[in-house]
Amino acid sequence: MSMSSEPILQVSNLTKRFGNLVAVNNVSLQIPAGEIVGLIGPNGAGKTTFFNTITGLYTPDEGRVVFKGQDITGMPPHKICKLGMSRTFQVTKAFTEMTVEETVRVGAYNRHGEDDVMEKVDEVISFCGLEEIRHQKCGDLGLASLRRVELARAMATEPDLLLLDEAGAGLTAAELAELMEILRKLNREQSVTLCVVEHVMQMVMGLCERIFVLDAGELIAEGTPEEISNNPRVIEAYLGERAIR
Amino acid sequence: MRIKATTFNRVLLGVLLAIALLIPLLIRTNQYNLVLVTTVLLFGVLATAWNIIGGMAGQLDLAAFAYLGLGAFTSGTLLIRWNVSPWIGMILGGLVATGFAVLVGFPLFRFRVREVWYALTSSALVEVLKVAFVMWEDVGGPVERYLPYYSFSLYHMRFGTYIPYYYIMLAILVIAIVVNYRIGRSKLGFYLRALGEDEDAAEILGVDARACKLKALMIYAFIVGATGAVYACMYGFIHPSFFSGARSTEVAILGIVGGMGITYGPLLAAVILVSAREFLRASLGGQMESLYLVIYSVVLILIALFRPQGIAVFFRDAYRKLLSKVTGDEHVLRANTPGI
Repeated sequence: MSMSSEPILQVSNLTKRFGNLVAVNNVSLQIPAGEIVGLIGPNGAGKTTFFNTITGLYTPDEGRVVFKGQDITGMPPHKICKLGMSRTFQVTKAFTEMTVEETVRVGAYNRHGEDDVMEKVDEVISFCGLEEIRHQKCGDLGLASLRRVELARAMATEPDLLLLDEAGAGLTAAELAELMEILRKLNREQSVTLCVVEHVMQMVMGLCERIFVLDAGELIAEGTPEEISNNPRVIEAYLGERAIR
Repeated sequence: MRIKATTFNRVLLGVLLAIALLIPLLIRTNQYNLVLVTTVLLFGVLATAWNIIGGMAGQLDLAAFAYLGLGAFTSGTLLIRWNVSPWIGMILGGLVATGFAVLVGFPLFRFRVREVWYALTSSALVEVLKVAFVMWEDVGGPVERYLPYYSFSLYHMRFGTYIPYYYIMLAILVIAIVVNYRIGRSKLGFYLRALGEDEDAAEILGVDARACKLKALMIYAFIVGATGAVYACMYGFIHPSFFSGARSTEVAILGIVGGMGITYGPLLAAVILVSAREFLRASLGGQMESLYLVIYSVVLILIALFRPQGIAVFFRDAYRKLLSKVTGDEHVLRANTPGI
């Protein structure tokens, strides 16, 4: 486990409460720049809340989030996006009345003006293989295509860190493989740091160099895929106590 | 082949504009009909302006006549008290309405008042202003304040006939449509449409939802406020009843029925529905006073049931088919851009 590269994201003692429920409890973690890391955990572990809190949709109750050396705790999402962090949503929040091209264009305006915005749109659309559906309305698309449009519009903002919230859920094995290929390419060719929240273990294990495990709002483990899959606390959290002989 | 499609669009636009320019000459002796067509244009302007905040940004604004009233009172009061030309009053009225929009919009968007709550707040705004202006006796009060009468004075925007008001309103309409069209194709337009669909998703993509909504509200308020100045001159008086909740709601209805976010949708709705309403009122008003409202409502319900995306979509699809036949270019069938 090498920590050679600078962390692009540093989260320290992050806590988010909803009334009596502590959805994220004192979580500290670092995401090294350039890596693909995974965030896993059973249902209700607080993964999505964690994402919402670092991207500015929720304000944390305690703790600090430092992105590229800058404190972004409590900053509104659009400013965090300008700094270079974007995400996709678990439940796809598609712009149903807009076409694929228009949706990607919204993201592309983050770093481009009217004169070169379409170049960026074209680039992202071909990168994600969306040429055939580029003029279709998002409301008419199936899940697999929607997931890819989500990814495309987030990519179009040109993030340095991209958070993917269950991008693989509900996809067939073939669609999953295709998505993983796009993500690897994105990481390699454009050196985007990726953080994937996943249920689909196949995707996390195949993609990530480092994995964080959340359970009941707490970070219970961190390590390489092998370390994680042999960690008794993780197995317990995922499969219940019976699984440990 | 695409050039041909744009040529066709331009020719059609030219023809429509020519018809609009000729209408008053055809009915110039009938002042009632002139008021009628000018009213259609007025609602066309209001609904087109509403399209920016309502159709694109998805905020169900029900305060059109709040901004219109402010413009009317600003310009009217300036004319009555200090003999300021309504042409200047138009600009100042628009600015007052815009200033008021900022006062209201800033806290509303800051504290994320959305959807139904925004609709209710904006609706209350009209009533609050009406009461405030009834009580503010220096400017408003319960009695009409008449603008000075001139049989024809360009400076005072007072004419013995309705024809000039028609052309002024038409000019404002053209401006409103151009503004709409330009915004629809700009960064602001894309941002507004995105946040209108999903504010969280838009924010994550770098959209400053609060600032964009405020900009949309300001542009809308300015156009409506400036129109208010013409409204006051056309009717020859100012009165707190200008702050009408029912008419504000009607503007929103036209915007929705016309087709949310489609540039010419609200105008189309205004032309069809306001004409129909006035025709029904004139032809049925003699027998049963409110029968026209019943029929009008039924028509609205039918549109909501069978054309929930708006009547503009219906016209757009038909127009695209025609266009693809004329130009032989199938591309126009799926081109999905705001405006066409």
